[in-house]
Order: sequence, then structure tokens, then C-alpha cells
Amino acid sequence: MFDTLRLLGEGFAGALTWAHLAWAFGGVTLGTFVGVLPGIGPALTVALLLPVTFSLDPVSAFIMFGGIYYGAMYGGSTTSILINSPGETASIVTAIDGHMMARQGRASAALATAAVGSFVAGTLATIALTFAAPVLASVALRFGPAEYFALTMVAFTTVAVLLGASLARGLFSLFLGLALGLVGIDPLTGNARFSFGIPQLLDGIDVMILVIGLFAVGETLYQAWRHGRDGEEVVALHEFTGMSREDWRRSWKPWLRGTAIGFPLGVLPCGGSVIPTVVSYMVERRLSAHPEEFGRGAIEGVAGPEAANNASAAGVLVPLLTLGLPSSATAAVLLTAFQQYGLQPGPLLFANRPDLVWTLIASLYIGNTMLLVLNLPLAPLWARVMLIPRSLLFGAILVLASVGAYGLNRSLLDVTLLYVVGAIGWGMRVIDVPLVPAVLGLILGPLAEQQFRRALAISQGDYTVFLVRPISAVLLASAAAVVVVPLLFGRRQGAAAA
Amino acid sequence: MSRSVVYSLLLACFAASASADPLLPHLRLIAPAAPGGGWDQTARAMQAVLQEAGIVHTSSVENIPGAAGTIGLARFISAERGNGDVLMMSGLIMLGAVVTHQSPVTLREVTPIARLIGEFEVIVVPAASPLRNLSDLVAMFRAAPESVSWGGGSAGGTDQILAGLFADAVGVDPRRVNYIAYSGGGESLSAILGGQVTVGVNGLGELAPHIEAGSVRVLAISSAERLPDVDAPTFREQGVDLEIENWRSVVAPPGVNTAERQRLEHLIEAMVKSDPWKAAVERYRWNDRYLAGTAFTRFVSSEEARVQGILEKLGTGDVPANPSVGEVGRYPVFILIGLLITATLSAGGLVRERWSAAKSGGETVSVPEVVYESGGWPAVLLVALAGLVDLLLLDRAGFVLASTALFWLTARAFDRTHPARDAVLAFAMAVASHVLFARLLQVSLPPGLLAGLF
Repeated sequence: MFDTLRLLGEGFAGALTWAHLAWAFGGVTLGTFVGVLPGIGPALTVALLLPVTFSLDPVSAFIMFGGIYYGAMYGGSTTSILINSPGETASIVTAIDGHMMARQGRASAALATAAVGSFVAGTLATIALTFAAPVLASVALRFGPAEYFALTMVAFTTVAVLLGASLARGLFSLFLGLALGLVGIDPLTGNARFSFGIPQLLDGIDVMILVIGLFAVGETLYQAWRHGRDGEEVVALHEFTGMSREDWRRSWKPWLRGTAIGFPLGVLPCGGSVIPTVVSYMVERRLSAHPEEFGRGAIEGVAGPEAANNASAAGVLVPLLTLGLPSSATAAVLLTAFQQYGLQPGPLLFANRPDLVWTLIASLYIGNTMLLVLNLPLAPLWARVMLIPRSLLFGAILVLASVGAYGLNRSLLDVTLLYVVGAIGWGMRVIDVPLVPAVLGLILGPLAEQQFRRALAISQGDYTVFLVRPISAVLLASAAAVVVVPLLFGRRQGAAAA
Repeated sequence: MSRSVVYSLLLACFAASASADPLLPHLRLIAPAAPGGGWDQTARAMQAVLQEAGIVHTSSVENIPGAAGTIGLARFISAERGNGDVLMMSGLIMLGAVVTHQSPVTLREVTPIARLIGEFEVIVVPAASPLRNLSDLVAMFRAAPESVSWGGGSAGGTDQILAGLFADAVGVDPRRVNYIAYSGGGESLSAILGGQVTVGVNGLGELAPHIEAGSVRVLAISSAERLPDVDAPTFREQGVDLEIENWRSVVAPPGVNTAERQRLEHLIEAMVKSDPWKAAVERYRWNDRYLAGTAFTRFVSSEEARVQGILEKLGTGDVPANPSVGEVGRYPVFILIGLLITATLSAGGLVRERWSAAKSGGETVSVPEVVYESGGWPAVLLVALAGLVDLLLLDRAGFVLASTALFWLTARAFDRTHPARDAVLAFAMAVASHVLFARLLQVSLPPGLLAGLF
């Protein structure tokens, strides 16, 4: 403990030079920016910057990369809240209540709770990374296919809170996502499924295509459809104030809970930052005194998931730094970056290059603080996006959406899919089918299937593997509890709501 | 003979004036994989070396991920035909993927340039495993093949090929290899370290730090002889006739002329002889396996035959590799039935809602009382048209013009009063995004008619 503090102090001493601060600032600014743009994520940005950083010393380069990584998590929420078009998958849940808040003129409060929540979560999670990384990493290794399958089951049960008013339509959306997840090569055998002989479909449908298509393009079509039909859609903003005292009171607990959910789930490589955000949303809704506000602009529905996705971003660094295991696309690129400097993250990195590791960790604290300073004053400015005439706003959204889709694989097929998915998204909005379950189905379906089959292959077809392994059994039991407990205890509430 | 003289003369030339006179002003490198993988790593290492050694003036890396490189291969063959300024990463994994994914294009269609590097494979067990050495594994494997789970990279890749060759070598039917495919090194590494699988197969580079730290024990390495810096016995010395090296190479597009091909070959030869490349090879723990010309072409054919042979024995690509997972086919059926049921229920619910709304609200509900000047079908069709025009123009007229049309038509759906203002703003937005993405973020967008202007 004392030793860790001393090393961290040395890390801060290393990071707090003007040059390093400048790199950190550049990183967080660029990160926020790519987080805002749909389809362009931190993985691609860091990969593009790699050649530029050859001439830098590794410490400066990693300070900047850390800034980009954390910054992208901040930026992703902005477009979710303002224009209902998530920039990253991690912020699809934020769009639900965040955008409703923006429609009610509370965009800057939503942006502020996202920024402060990200700061709180990022800082607490970095503290956890500082002190508990090796322990957490060894716990994560005890997760095998059975445990990951059980974890996806927990995530599936949490989807229930996102299904919306009609159970049938919510489940339809989920199954639509699951069906789309069938497309492509079956990773366990290498067989192609439902790819209809189109080579570009061999790798499946990119989640980002579904997200940008359903949300950005679908929203554009839907707004065009509704245009001029109802007066209430004109956003009553005007109040560009930040968070009220009430907003703070309602936000701080979700921030802390979101961190507690996000960080451990980030350490486990499973579905990126999506699962923590959904779990956090479910928890907030279940604990809230006003569950009926969720989906209609509840600030807790922004505060919790935003904290969760930032905490999970820090969690991803645990297996990367301590074991050399990349568990997300960005982590894989960061691993390449380490290797480019002749460094091998893993059990020996902390021993061989403590200066680099601790300076990097110190710079994460610094980057987080910078992001708060950068994003809080920006919130009211960003909120003014709501004042742009819709004709221009949606024109710009479609241009950015098409670049995002094209940029994924530089394939015209992806742009075609984008517009097809957009048309589906519009249809779903018109008949009131929720969008989020479809995205979750696409992410979780293949994960659940793969892990299920892996577990059975390792156990040679013995189904008890899911129940005899303690972590798996506990997770499956809690998944069941998420479904059963509200049925038993929440019947009265449910009846009242219906 | 005379050719190598020309080579050395050429080499001498630009060794003398390296940075002043690059062989190519700009070389594009295509990594047919996502950022972070082995091909991406190799491409980015090449990019750095080529620029540092002054062999090219500038170089860029483009990622075309998908299906273990076969998507990139297909695009490389169709879109880059005849281009003399581009190279794609390739290698053993792509040979396997072409077979496994029944790719319509093969490596025979591209122009081979050179093999660059190789990496040995190792079989490891977690430190706590009861398997002490390779003969323990052989005994267990022969007794009950399916009880040994092999954790490694994607299906049809080098790791699975090694597992198949191993089974073949010790007299077990390769189809009985219980191979657990993981996507990417990180995932399989954590399964190995966590003891989720009996044995792990992986490249030496990724496992080296864990071997050094003692968290895994090497049972065998796939090299012909022991390596000086790795304390690991080979398969051969333990009585298993098995040797394999995961090699990576570069290829040029089909249809390049002889001069262009030679220029690319010189360029690669200059690269592998440069000091920065030697440093990179050492840093990544690669083996320098430079092989060019007809020798390389012959090598590829022999590897192709070997890979095809073992993958056929493994049965990847057509039947499930693992007989213990018979329920593979049930999951898609379950999902599709679920989709059908929920769709029917939703449709039923919608009809009921409309019906009860019509009944309670009277006849006037379905008929709009006001005629709107915008919105509705005309607006939706206008946005749909915008998307269609974008699709049609993107490749033909280029990103800037396509986006201008997309923006302008979309704006028309919301507001028809400012066509000129919107056109100017649409063009400005398209140019700004092009500069931002193509220039600053290097996401290559189709330049089209306005190529070179922005």
C-alpha cells in the first residue's frame, strides 16, 4: 500500500511536466472529438497515431493514448444526448433518457451529469486500478466459458427493463438483433451462416452499422415523417443552466453504483462497455422511487450508465497492464503500441518498467481531471446544437453517419446496409418498437452462443458444467432472480402501472 | 545472377542517398485485419521501417478486417488490380482461411513478392497442470482424445493447423481434436492462463512473457532445433515428427507490370536489409525469413498443399469440427422461431390497438384534420432518395459530391425555403468532413471527380 503510493507519487512527478501535460491535453481533446463522431472510435484513432508517435518517447505517447481512450468515453455520450445518435456502442443506453432530457430543454444538465459521472467513475476506477490490479486480474482469469455464458444471461435478463410498453414488441426487437447476430462465420467451426454468398457478410453485421443506422438514420427518417405534425417536438430549451441541486442529489448515488458495476465488468472481457451500462440502467430503475420516469428523461438513467462505461474503460486496462491480455479493440491497439516500443505488457511490465506504468496511471488521473474541466464548460455550448435548424442538423447527421459506416471497412455494402437498417429503424419507431434491445441482441447473442458451445465442448457435452462451477452458478441464480423477484414482489406495482 | 548484381547496385545507390531519393514516394500497406492483430502489427512495423530508412517517402496502413483476411484478399484483387504502389500482408493464416471459409478468391491470383518473417508456435499448459511434458500429453491424448481441449486462435488458423498436425503425427484422427477457437490472441491467452483449457497453442511472441514469468510451462516448440533464448524442447526431440512456422509475407495486386513488380521487390529487399528492420524483428521476437522470387512462389504452393491436406483431415469448413457439440444447428432455428412468434404477436397487438382506437375514437381519428405542408410520406421519400443518391454517387462522383447531394436533399425534407443557402452549407459541410476524415484522420474516402482538390 505505502509502496504503491510512493510509486504513484513518482508517477505523478514524471507526468507533471509541461510537455506531458500538453500531450495529455492533446489526447483528451482528440479523444472527446472522435468519441463524438459516429463510427470513428479510439481504436482506429490510436492506430492512426502510431506512426506519428514513433519519434516520441514512450511515456509521452502513452499519456496521449490514455487521454484518447478516456476522452472517447466522454465524447460518446454527447451525440446520444443531443441528437439520439450514439457515437459509440457504450452510450446507446444513455440515449434513452439523455435524449428525452434534451427534448425537455435539459440537455446541459444531462451533459453535465454525464461529464461529472464520467469523472467520478474514471477517477475511482483508476484508484481501483492503482491498488487492486493484480488481484482483480487473477480473479478475472477464473472466468471460463461457463462463467461468461452465465454473465450474458444476467445481461439478457436486464434487457427486460428496456423492452418498453409492449412485451411482444420489445422481444421482437431483441430477436431481430439476435437474428442479425447469426449472420457470418460461426467462429467455432469456421462455417459461414446466413451470409447469402456475400463475402462482406462473412464477418457478420457490424454493431456500429446497426447503431448508426437504427439511431441516426432512423431518427432522421422519423423526424422527417413527424415534421410539422406536432408542436411539442419543438425543444423548449432556453435554460442553459447546468445541474440543479436536485439533479446533484439524484445523480451522486447512480455515479457510485455505476462505478461499482462498471469497473469489475470492464476487467472481464465480455461485450465491451455495453453490459455494464445496461446493468447499471436496470439497477437504477429498480432502485428508483420513480421508475415510471425512466424512458421519459430520468437523470439517473444518464448518470448511472455513463459512470458505468467510464469505469469499465478503466477496468479494461487491468488485464492489459498486468497480464498483457487485450480485452477490447482499443486495448489490442494499445498492446501493439507497447510492443512497438519493445515493451511487453504482462506480469513483468510492472517490474521492468515501473516508471512507464506509474506515469501512465498518474496521467490517467490527470487526463480525467482535464476532461472534466474541458467538458463541463462545453456542456451548455454543446446544448446549443439543439438550436440548429432541423434541416441542417439532419443533413449533417446523415453525412456523418455515411462516413462512419463507410469508414468501418471502406465498403459500399456497409453504407447500403446503413440505409436499409435506417429504414427498418424508422419503421420500428413508427410502430413503437424499442431500438435498444435489437442492438443488445446483436452484441449478446453471438457471445452467449459461443461461450455456451465452448463450455459444452470443454466439458464434452456435460450440461452440469454451468451449475457445478460456483461463479457460473451464482451468476445464473442472480439472472433468474432478476426475472423472478420482481414477479413475486413487484406484482402490485406492475398492476398499478398497467 | 545478373539480377542480383542489379539489386546490389540499386541497393548501393539508395544506401548512399537514402532519404534523398526514395524508391516510391508513397507506399500503401493493407492489413487485412483489424488494428491490433498480427498483420496490422507487421504492416505498422513495415511502415515505420520504410519511412525511417528512407526507402519510401511516406507510407500509410489501411485495415480491411474480416474472415481471417479473405475479405481483404477479395477486395485487394478486385479494387487494386494493376496498382503498383500497394502491398498487402498475407501468410499462412490466409492460406488456411481460404480453405476454411471456402473463399472464392485464392492467393494464386495475387502477385507474390516475398516472405518476410516467421514465428514459431508453442504448446503450453498452465503452471499448475498435471501434464509435465509432451509424453504426458501424448499419453492422455491417445487414451481419450476429446478429453484434451486445445485453446487457440480462430478456426482454420495456424494454431488449429498445429493441433491437427500433432494429432496426425501421434496417430490420432485429427477430427477428434477438441479444438476451442477463440477470436484473437488475448482471449485464448486468458483461457490458457486461467486453466480453462487443457493445453494452449499460440505464437511464441505472445506467450514469451508468460513463459519467462513462469505462469505457463512449455511442452514443445514447433522449431526444428532448440532456440538459444527459449528454454523449450522441440517436438522432434520428443519423438513427434512435427515442425511448423507461422509465416507472414507481402503480396502485390494482380496485373502489375514487370517494372512495378521489380520495384516493389527491390523495395522489400532494401527494407529487410535495413537496420531498423533488424531491430524490429528482434523487438517482436520474429524470425527473419526473407524469401523472394520463384523460391517464394514454390514455397507458397507447398505450404498450400500441406494446409489443405490437414484442414481436410480436420474437417473445418464443411462439418462441425467437434462431434461433442451436436446442438450447433439448434440455436439459429430457436432464434428464427422466436423472431417469427414475436413478430406475429407484435403485429396482432398493433392490429388490436388500431382497431380499439378506431372504435373508441370514432371515424375522425384516422383522417388528419389539417393538411400539413411538410412531413409524412413526401418527407420520408425525400430522405430515402437522399440515401439512394448518396449510394449511387459515392463511388462514381466521390465523397464530396455525394455528401453534398445527401445533405441538400435531406434538408429539403425538413425545410424547402432555403435551397441556395442549404446548397452552399451542404458543400461546405462535405468539404469539411472530407478534410477532417480523409486528411486528418486518414479514413480514405472515395475521391471521385473532385480528386486532388481537397
